[in-house]
Amino acid sequence: MDGQAKPTRRSKVTSLQDAARLARGALEERPELCLGGLFKQSRPIALVRALLAVGADGLHVYSSPGAGFDIDLMIASGAVAQVFIPGVTLENRLCPNFRRAVEAGQVTAHALDALTVVGGLMASAHGVPFQPIDALRGSDVLKHNPLLREIDCPFSGRRIHAVGPIRPRVTFLHAQEADRWGNLRHLSTMVYADQLMARASDMIIASVDRIVPEEVVLDDPSRVTVPSHYVDAVVEVPYGAHPTASFPNYAMDEEHIDAYADLGDAARTGDGTGLDAYMARHVTGPKSQEDYIEAVGGTAHFARLEAEARNG
Amino acid sequence: MSAAVSPLEQMVVVLARDLADGELGAAGAAALVPMAAIALARELHAPNLTVGGEMFFNPETGRLYPSMLDDRALGRCEAAETFIELFGHSHHGLDFFFHSGLQHDAYGNINLHHVGGTLHAPKMRGPGAANLSYCHTSTRFYICPTVHTARNFVETVDFITIPGHLSGPAAKRDAGLVNEGPRLAVTPRAVMDFDDTTLRMRLKSVHPGNTTEEVQRHTGFDLAIRGEVPQTRPPTEEELRVLRERIDTSGALRA
Repeated sequence: MDGQAKPTRRSKVTSLQDAARLARGALEERPELCLGGLFKQSRPIALVRALLAVGADGLHVYSSPGAGFDIDLMIASGAVAQVFIPGVTLENRLCPNFRRAVEAGQVTAHALDALTVVGGLMASAHGVPFQPIDALRGSDVLKHNPLLREIDCPFSGRRIHAVGPIRPRVTFLHAQEADRWGNLRHLSTMVYADQLMARASDMIIASVDRIVPEEVVLDDPSRVTVPSHYVDAVVEVPYGAHPTASFPNYAMDEEHIDAYADLGDAARTGDGTGLDAYMARHVTGPKSQEDYIEAVGGTAHFARLEAEARNG
Repeated sequence: MSAAVSPLEQMVVVLARDLADGELGAAGAAALVPMAAIALARELHAPNLTVGGEMFFNPETGRLYPSMLDDRALGRCEAAETFIELFGHSHHGLDFFFHSGLQHDAYGNINLHHVGGTLHAPKMRGPGAANLSYCHTSTRFYICPTVHTARNFVETVDFITIPGHLSGPAAKRDAGLVNEGPRLAVTPRAVMDFDDTTLRMRLKSVHPGNTTEEVQRHTGFDLAIRGEVPQTRPPTEEELRVLRERIDTSGALRA
């Protein structure tokens, strides 16, 4: 009895680069990557940049039903073959690299809708062969949606739709906090589809703005949005969602995204030098998140985004 | 009110007047004008109107933001949901919703996917759209693009992302679109509604400062103008005061 050491629980905390290598290895087996957050909110951008820096190609990218900056950046890096995201936009303007690559036939952008994506994730999370959908009519998207089938409802006999499980090989999430075991705490107002993706995917890699002591989790378990059971690796990355927002910690960096989109539009119309410089400075160049923070404008820049999140 | 009424303010007021107390609805993706319209209705005549169906209930917005999916806008809301609830709302439908796109056609169909070419070989690829259900599971929706030209109001859209009235009553029935669909198209120039029999778009009223001829010239199909078209009722003093002082405190609708 005595003398036997208590076995130690394994911490899931890892480095950004190790997380990127873990993801790359898994995606080489099956290239289906899913991204958490929504549009410019709580997107796992640091993980995306790290994956692009270690190299990725031929990806099939899923997301909650709306994405913009991250998918455009991945396309700019040549990492993407197919896009399974219903809405791809920077909201105030179109995604320049997405547009260019799809118009040039370099990337396939499937016509989908939110219920197909959410329903497919639900089927996967619930472990059932399909999710019925009965709210899609009249749209040309139905003629092209590759994930949808028509079936007879076994109860009413009516023709309805079904979507099979969407099972991402890897999902990247960004939350505000986690403990070292990987219990995630989303402190933002909304958690979008992150909880669903966590239960639908083979592998979950999460970035968080900070790792907190496990007492913080134990003191308020209803605050845990994704239990550690679902999480394979967690990385502490200050400002890991930049230039998207991570409330209540920092607001989206609209100027950064706009400047990026200007460079993307220039590349789309023939001058790629600015975009190349952006990629070198922000994606392939930085050796660490500290380097990235400096490249973006240093701590003073982020202090402004923090103030914006506090004051609205 | 000193400053002139802006086209977007005129749009907001028209839309707000059509929302009723006790209804449930949401603003959609391009949310600036719809969100202002909902907020104005809640301030003036619809205090029990519920904003819901887009993962949050009743946001207390201190100012307007271009996107409602922004925690600066949602930091204070009564409840936050997830996509799991959005799945249910999309099936059950709302009372009202809003849409706009790259192209809008004579039957109120909306295109957000591509202009020219085909879906997988597009001349110009648009953003697509997330929610394709509220347009027909909801009681009605409003078309409210912030530009109105002969290029974005076309006879037939290149791709139907959001079905309006398709090609008229028979097509709509065949597709199982049982609700009202698009009720009004409200633009910076005018208000359009739909002929009861054909479900084609027609000019209903022209905003102050625009002429019927101008609106027709900036529309890529025949607006079925017969005789004198009324002027859109401009904002009242009260509507404008509440809109500017309590809702659009940053002047986003006048930018």
